[in-house]
This record gives sequence, C-alpha cells and structure tokens, in this order.
Amino acid sequence: MRLSAGAIGFALLLALPAAAQAPMASGAVPEAAPLPVSRPADPASGRKIVVERRRGFCLLCHSGPFPEERFHGDLAPSLAGTGSRWTEGQIRARLIGSTAINPETIMPPYFRKDGGTILTAEEIEDVTAFLTTLRD
Amino acid sequence: MRFFIFLALIAAVPALAQGIAPQDRRSGFETMGPEAQAMQRDDFSNPAMLGVAAGEAAWNSAPANGKPACSGCHGDINATMRGVDARYPARQANGAVMDLTGRIQTCQSQHQAITPEPRESAGLLALQAAVALRSRGMQIEAPASRGLSEAVSRGEALYRQRLGQLNLSCAQCHDDHWGRSLGGTRIPQGHPTGYPIFRLEWQAMGSLQRRLRNCFTGVRAEPFPAGASEWIDLEIYLRQRAAGMASDAPGVRP
Amino acid sequence: MTTAMILVPRTPIRSGDVVMLKAMISHPMETGYRRTENGEEIPRNIIRRMICRYDGVEVFSVEMHQAIAANPFMSFGVVATKTGPVEFEWVGDNGFRHRQSAQLTVTG
Repeated sequence: MRLSAGAIGFALLLALPAAAQAPMASGAVPEAAPLPVSRPADPASGRKIVVERRRGFCLLCHSGPFPEERFHGDLAPSLAGTGSRWTEGQIRARLIGSTAINPETIMPPYFRKDGGTILTAEEIEDVTAFLTTLRD
Repeated sequence: MRFFIFLALIAAVPALAQGIAPQDRRSGFETMGPEAQAMQRDDFSNPAMLGVAAGEAAWNSAPANGKPACSGCHGDINATMRGVDARYPARQANGAVMDLTGRIQTCQSQHQAITPEPRESAGLLALQAAVALRSRGMQIEAPASRGLSEAVSRGEALYRQRLGQLNLSCAQCHDDHWGRSLGGTRIPQGHPTGYPIFRLEWQAMGSLQRRLRNCFTGVRAEPFPAGASEWIDLEIYLRQRAAGMASDAPGVRP
Repeated sequence: MTTAMILVPRTPIRSGDVVMLKAMISHPMETGYRRTENGEEIPRNIIRRMICRYDGVEVFSVEMHQAIAANPFMSFGVVATKTGPVEFEWVGDNGFRHRQSAQLTVTG
C-alpha cells in the first residue's frame, strides 16, 4: 500500500523531468553481451537453476510459472512474461548485476569475474536462455 | 506500464528509507502465527520457561570454589533484576559496553572466579532467560538516552550496509519488505523484544547473536566472531529501533 | 542439566473432578536422522517413555518416537480421588531417566 502510494507520488513528480532521466527510460535499460562460455546455452538447465533453492534461489523473491514448486516469494515481480518484457541482453544484464540498472535493487549480482560469483558464465547463459522462453 | 514499474522500484527507496514509523512497529510475537503465540502465552507450554527454571536454579547455586552464588551478591532475582534486561546492552562502571550475556560472563569470571560459560551454552542462555523474564512487559529503554548514541550510529551504519555475496542490507528486508514472503517465510520487522528465544526452527534456546548470524549466512556474509563489538553495536541499534516496545522475553519464535 | 515443569491446578479440587495436568521437560529429542555440517551422523537421543503415577498408581503413559519435538510437552486429564503425589518419570536413550513430582490436593 505504502509502496504504491509512494510510487504514484514519485511518478507525478517525475512526469516533467522524465526526459532528463534518459538513462533510466525503458528503452535505455542496459544490455549485456553474451559471456564467453565453453558450451551452448541450455534452457532446461537454466530452468533447474531458477527453481533450485541452493543455486539460483530465484523463487525466494520471485513467483512464476513453476507449479511444482511451493512457496514462491513476493518480494519481486513474477518471472512470467520476462521474455516479452525484456530483450535477451537486458535479462543477462539484470542477472549479472542489477544494481547497474537500479542502484537500490535487492536483486543479488549473480556473476562476478573476480571470484565469489554465485553462478558461472555457463549458468548465466543457461538462465538467460530459459528466461527468454517465458513469453506469457 | 514498464516505465511505471521501473519508477515504482526507484520510488520505493526514498519512501521507506526512514525505517518503520513508531505506530507501525510490530514485534515478532505479534506477526508470528497463532499457534506459536498460544505456545508463548501459556508459561507452561513455553519451552523457554524451562530455561528460566534452570536459570533460577543456577542463580541460587554457589560454585564449588566457595565463591558466592548470583544470589549471594544480588539477592532475590525478582527484586534486583527487575527491569535490568530492558536497559541492556549497557555501559559498565569501567566504561565498557556489554550485552547481558557479556555482563553475566564478567560476573562469572570476576566474582565467582570460574571460567565463564560460553555464549550459546545452555547454562548461560538459561541465566539470561531468568534475568530477562524480570523485564517482561516493560518498555525497552532507548540506548541513545543512556549515553550510547555512538554505538547506535555504528550499529545503524551496519544495519544499512549491503553485505555478503547476495549484497543485501538488514534494512532492505526488515525496513523495506517486512510482511512480504521470502520463499515460505514471512519477513519480520526484526525487533529484538523476546531474547533469548526458544526458536522452533532451532528446537532450542538461542541468543540474538545466533539469530543475527543466521541472517549473515543467509546473505552469504561471513559472520563476526561470537561476542564481537559489531554484534553489540547492531544489538544496540536494534534496541534503539525497538525502544518503547514491550519486552516479551523469553519468547517463542518460528 | 535436565529441567522439568509440572503444573497441577491450584484451584480447589473436589473428589471426582477431572483435572488437567501439564508436564514439560527439557530434552533435545535428537532424531538420529540429522548430520553435522561435516556429514557425521548425529546419534539418536530421544525420550522413549513418560509415565505418570497418581498416588502410586499409573494413570497415564506415553511412548515417544522421533517425530516428537524437543522439550516434550504433555497435557492430560485425570479424575481426582484423594490428596496424593503426582509423579512423572521420563526414560530415554543413553540411560536418560528423570523423576519429578507435585502434590495434588483434594479438598472434600
């Protein structure tokens, strides 16, 4: 409730200077190029990563078209329709480091080159490939 | 639509960054399920009261070395420990800031000349539960009003700092998203009103530091060592954040 | 250290009244199905049996298994007949045994 009220207020405030927010406008959401990988992306493997509680743990925050999984979270938007809302490059950019798009996001950075990464480059490509298939 | 959703995400942060308004604060007791509430309401079904009983027995029993029992110096726990937990952590006469656990350990080493029981040991949790019960229903006192403003600030900075592989701050869950579902778990506001608690997930008594450690490993951050000053700072900030709320220690939590 | 709590009603009790007794005991009730972080099995350590005797006569007993939570809590009714001790005994793995009693006072 508070969130939507705040959002409306903010939207009104921003109505005029929205043009000045160019980097934030939807068309300008950054895209990330495919990561160098040792094998082709596998959407089925990506789906497994998304639902597994100790690998992607996406469903702790997101809900989505995963009827076999119980206890979807509601901290973040549903993953349903991800593939029609965002391009493949935008999905990849969100997985790699969502703070580059929204500095206040609660979405963890799933890929780092300097060690301590949550997912490998191959797994990022698998999940990206899977999420692009969620069209509805 | 997409544009609006994005603005909503941005807008959520300034709208909520001040934390939770006093009238919106809810303790873990208030937000947990009715079964756990019923378990806590009846002292004869609250497992933490077993800790209280053990703690009261320990309070009155002297160590084998001839040094006094807790009661030898402090007398009747009902009288002398009344309201003590509500004002902890606290600054000691020598200037050191201690949580209740640290204070009990200090008594054990200085006045009882025994090796202090370790943090999270059943014996120490029991003594702490027995002391904390004597503040049940009383308002948690603001640490900032007791000369702990600097620790409050340090604790708040830690509370708002993104931590761990998942890059999340305490505030992002417990200020901004309390009441939402993290998987199957409802996110509480995180007020330390009931410690030490009997946590059903642990099937045991545990301290606030143990609970904080769980959150740290949850975001895949390395926890501080037991008893570290960072934990005390964080506890002091959380007590400031919960100041004026009623203690329900020793509580049951899911 | 084992701690137990027994609750016998303090309100006046008459012969023939059904009174509720409550008992809870500190015990980990370790199932034997769990492992440590290093993968070692944590051996089973549970209470197997609780017996309640009223005035020397067994009036209630229960067998416990792994699915009982830590610190088993039991509540049950007995018919009060006369003033006498209510004795609880818990017996479990590793030679565990704890006895504790309370007085049930019947007035008239």
